[in-house]
Amino acid sequence: MRYDNDHLKMPNKIIEMGLLPETVFRILYQAPFSGPMYVEFGEEKSRIALREEEGDFIIVEELN
Amino acid sequence: MQATQKKQVLLVGNPNVGKSTVFNALCNKKQKTGNYAGVTVASHSGFYNYENEEVEVVDLPGSYSIYPSSEDEAIFSKFLIDKQQDYAGVIYILEALSLKRGLLLFQQIQDLGVPMILVVNQIDQAERRGITIDIKKFSEALGIQIIQTNAKEQIGIEEIKKAVLNNNFVKANKQSFETPNEHKDFIQKIMSHKDIDNEYKAWMSLSLGTDLGRIESIIEQMNEPDSKSLVPKRLQVQETVRRYQKVDKILSNVISKKAQFKELLTEKLDKVLVHKFWGYVVFLAILLIIFQCVFFLAEYPMNWIDDFFAWLSAFAGEHLPEGPLNSLISNGIVPGLGGIIVFAPQIGILLYFLYLLEDSGYMARVVFLMDRLLRPFGLNGKSIVPLVSGTACAIPAVISTRNIENLKERLLTILVTPFMTCSARLPVYSIIIGLIISDKSFLGIKYKALVLMGMYLLGFIVALFSAAILNKFIKNKGKTYLVMDLPTYKKPLFGYDFKMVLGKVWDFITGAGKIIFIVSIIIWFLSYFGPKQKPDQLVATNVQLDHSYLAKMGKGIEPVIAPLGYDWKMGVGILTSFVAREVFVGTMSTLYSLDDDAPEGKVIDKMRNDVKPNGEKVFNFATGVSVLLFYAFAMQCVSTLAVVYRETKSWKWTGFQVVMMTGLAYFVSMLAYQILK
Repeated sequence: MRYDNDHLKMPNKIIEMGLLPETVFRILYQAPFSGPMYVEFGEEKSRIALREEEGDFIIVEELN
Repeated sequence: MQATQKKQVLLVGNPNVGKSTVFNALCNKKQKTGNYAGVTVASHSGFYNYENEEVEVVDLPGSYSIYPSSEDEAIFSKFLIDKQQDYAGVIYILEALSLKRGLLLFQQIQDLGVPMILVVNQIDQAERRGITIDIKKFSEALGIQIIQTNAKEQIGIEEIKKAVLNNNFVKANKQSFETPNEHKDFIQKIMSHKDIDNEYKAWMSLSLGTDLGRIESIIEQMNEPDSKSLVPKRLQVQETVRRYQKVDKILSNVISKKAQFKELLTEKLDKVLVHKFWGYVVFLAILLIIFQCVFFLAEYPMNWIDDFFAWLSAFAGEHLPEGPLNSLISNGIVPGLGGIIVFAPQIGILLYFLYLLEDSGYMARVVFLMDRLLRPFGLNGKSIVPLVSGTACAIPAVISTRNIENLKERLLTILVTPFMTCSARLPVYSIIIGLIISDKSFLGIKYKALVLMGMYLLGFIVALFSAAILNKFIKNKGKTYLVMDLPTYKKPLFGYDFKMVLGKVWDFITGAGKIIFIVSIIIWFLSYFGPKQKPDQLVATNVQLDHSYLAKMGKGIEPVIAPLGYDWKMGVGILTSFVAREVFVGTMSTLYSLDDDAPEGKVIDKMRNDVKPNGEKVFNFATGVSVLLFYAFAMQCVSTLAVVYRETKSWKWTGFQVVMMTGLAYFVSMLAYQILK
């Protein structure tokens, strides 16, 4: 994954939590009615909750 | 005797790394640990003595970065940077399961030139996941000695104390973050201009940004044309990404993983607990179980307490000399105290469950589940934690809003949390429901229990809808978002939490007890004395209740409360409730026991039989409903107001909350009484 170049609107917290460019992640669950996403990422299998709006800042490439 | 030395150390780390557990193991003090980001919402300090040194440990709120994005993180950064002269060093806690995230903040603090001790907690957990950490290599790469702990088992705590005693705090010999080349010259200029000797501090004076209002001033002072285009946020991102790249390199040499990867408890549990459907079913079921326990399990100890106080009251009545003092103690103070202490089991059970939920890591899942549902009301998923803990007490609930990043969402949560049915309302509800609702049951559930549950629901619904209305009128500053860690589930500390609950319940009893004791005595005095009846008297003593100062005061406010259906005694009860709601019960007990016409009998029976001058019962259905609604909505807690002011730093919003809540209470109670009477 990479980040959109619109850095400034994105909460820094996403990066501070360790969801960095080139990180492999999986969306495990999502709360109903387009609620937050349950994202697992990185070597340490960190888990964070993100809303779709925050997810929009992230450019995703599919891995198999 | 040797003189003791004093030393202050800070306990720092990400949220959920076991910081508070280390704190408890060090200081052996009552303090809440939790597995939900933001339990340590204020900085607490505790003390321990080791050898001949007294050490003060300040437990700072957890943070992910030196750059704050919420109030609790701001408290953290401010303390760390501003108080650098005061503390001997920082004990930094890393969790073995998330080293990467922890090292970001660790290196930022290191670069500030702060001396540190590094602790890696819960290595056993990492090993269970098949992760091996080469501590020796790790220690060399970071240039600092590492202490391994398992704080829950007290392992490694002695080593921390030793390290503090020997002042094994280490300063970094080299800055781990290299200032980007394009800013190097400018940073050098700032350093010489501002007389800063630390390159990272100079960098921070740029990157910390407008939060502290520094960047404009520094850039303007420096009069550097290129620097005008600097955006603090961009600098922060640049720094964070660079740091993580370095951290990755360090960790790749230190961590090794076995091939097999067992599915862990957290993965299994989350399949159900955050499920689109079952997640909500489980959450509702948990709430139902909690309330079932609060109302039915608590019945047994409540009966014992009731019996004990009835006995004590009778005992005091028999053995004390006859007179008004006898009546005050046996019918006023003792039943008043009993009326509060009887609720200790319910409050204790409620708190115990809340602690277990926080401790286990489940609260973060509730935030995840509730975020989408709370957003239409202008709230954040994180608002659910204050709302739920508001059912115990609004004070810690208001403080726990600090980790809500968006200021508007935080303000809304603070404004509506006191609508949640707190434990102080429980005594009032119980006594009024006991007076006006019949003992019958419906499908095996007592009407009384249903009405009580209805009151809880009412509080929640009013909280949500008032948030939705206020949402329309309050301007939004800043962006709303939810970026939240979902910690691994941990077995709650059952015994430890139980101890915490006992402490809190004791605080409640002594706190409420003191107030009720004082209020009872004041009421007794005001009712014992009255305006002079003969010209040569200064005041009249031992007057009829109806001729006392108290009655005069109560009758003075009667025009205001008459539309709500209250007589002057209830008016006095409500007035005294503005100190704290539960005082109502004590005031009523005292008032009714002072009624000389019927000195015998239980207070509740006297209340039931009391009539107004026009022959109407004082506590009939209409006035009962009116009182219930008044207590549900009115802002009647001085301590909560003090905390709201401290958290909002605004008289405007604190005042608004009083007027909004009490105005609503007055209006709704009047409406209900006028319709039902």
